[in-house]
Amino acid sequence: MNVAPVLAPGSIYWHLPVLIVVVSLVYSATRYDHWGNILKEAARWGLRMLIFLCAIALIQFVLTFFI
Amino acid sequence: MPNPHDRTLPPPPLSPLAGFLSYLVPGLGQIYQGRVAKGLLFMVCLYGLFFYGMHLGSWSNVYLPDTVDTTPPPIPLPRPLGNLYNHKEFLGQFWIGVAAWPAIWQYNNFNPHEDKGPVFGTFERTPFESRAEPGVDAHQFKNRAPADWKGATLNELQTNGDKTWDLGWVYTVIAGVLNILVIYDAFAGPALAEGEQLQRTHQETVAA
Repeated sequence: MNVAPVLAPGSIYWHLPVLIVVVSLVYSATRYDHWGNILKEAARWGLRMLIFLCAIALIQFVLTFFI
Repeated sequence: MPNPHDRTLPPPPLSPLAGFLSYLVPGLGQIYQGRVAKGLLFMVCLYGLFFYGMHLGSWSNVYLPDTVDTTPPPIPLPRPLGNLYNHKEFLGQFWIGVAAWPAIWQYNNFNPHEDKGPVFGTFERTPFESRAEPGVDAHQFKNRAPADWKGATLNELQTNGDKTWDLGWVYTVIAGVLNILVIYDAFAGPALAEGEQLQRTHQETVAA
């Protein structure tokens, strides 16, 4: 399977980092008031979401070999 | 007499006005409370996400259509609720505040015989679903664009596009729903403020 279209310029997946950054920053800022805590929590949430999305992508990639 | 070792802190005072201001404009309540940097963070992030989503959707994905006549909901509902049932996205987008109000204005002033609405033009107006054949008067249909309409109709956006229209409305809904958390933050303070306060008190005690 060719994964190049996913990473090609103009692919809709390039819009996802905007979502990850905004969701993690806003969510963390509603939990804490101090910037140190906000940024640490945002980094944690951003990483969790990235790992989750990559895991889903990996599962779908593996499934393509069986379909 | 209060116990000096009692670490239970009083809850922060509730601020309905700040909550309402943050509903109107994301972060405005926090700015009103003096938490300016955090308010600006909310404003930039949520307006950024909302308008970025609208841009991805060719500025045609925030609207409230009048569809109860063609698609009645399964249970009888007042007309506005029936339309919301048919277009649930707006229930999420609504919470972004004044940025979604033009859609309500357009809903209340929608005239199928006009190509755009009063005041806001085509901004957040229910987009045309399809295009009339050349030579056919589009205004005899409820929501069809004239053949020479320069913009893209919903059918064209969804069939010729690359899914960015769908991604766009998801972004606008996420921005609206995130603003509910921001409203709560303005109304009642950050969710873990007490723990943060205790952490600071502990650090001050250790330093002393």
